[in-house]
Amino acid sequence: MPRVAGVDIPNDKPTRIALRYIYGIGPKFAVEICRKAEIDPNIHAKNLTESELSAIGGILTNDYVIEGQLRRQVQQHIARLRDISCYRGFRHRRGLPVRGQRTKTNARTRKGPRKTVAGKKSVKEMR
Amino acid sequence: MSRSAKKGPYVDEKLFRKVQKAQQAGNNAPIKTWARACTIVPEFVGLTFMVHNGKVFAKVFVTEDMVGHKLGEFSPTRMFRSHSGGRK
Repeated sequence: MPRVAGVDIPNDKPTRIALRYIYGIGPKFAVEICRKAEIDPNIHAKNLTESELSAIGGILTNDYVIEGQLRRQVQQHIARLRDISCYRGFRHRRGLPVRGQRTKTNARTRKGPRKTVAGKKSVKEMR
Repeated sequence: MSRSAKKGPYVDEKLFRKVQKAQQAGNNAPIKTWARACTIVPEFVGLTFMVHNGKVFAKVFVTEDMVGHKLGEFSPTRMFRSHSGGRK
């Protein structure tokens, strides 16, 4: 299995798909990288030559923010929102949806598993 | 370029005039305002605003990080006081 950008080991899929296993590389960037490295995007990752791999590696480190660096960047942006105590910062602190979604129902991704409250009317009773 | 970028930031004119006046005078008295939709521009940095939240005026001291946000984002309109019962 080839190894690109440190830890990522994309498997035997076409290069444009395999590159997407890297955090921060999606469909658009994957194709873009192939074009920059002058690699056929449909060639399987296992068939990439050593020089092609290093070309990809070079492009990734120079032109893209990926993996740990990107994760850190995202965390920094959230921390900034928290620090200036704006509405979005509050929502991040509280662990509630940030972009104005409803919270009467749903929003379980942000709120986590349901915490049942004794004596609270169920959805069925409300109707 | 998106349409909103083309239109530029919304800055409340009256508030902006007040800001300029305050800066010329070197006056740090808080500026009372209802213009929650007004974008914070670099000129606002270092000033204190009293932003109405529908009931009271919340004090907002503008720092550099806040540029690009709107004044209303710093003056919450809802308050959650925890549910009855509480936890053990």
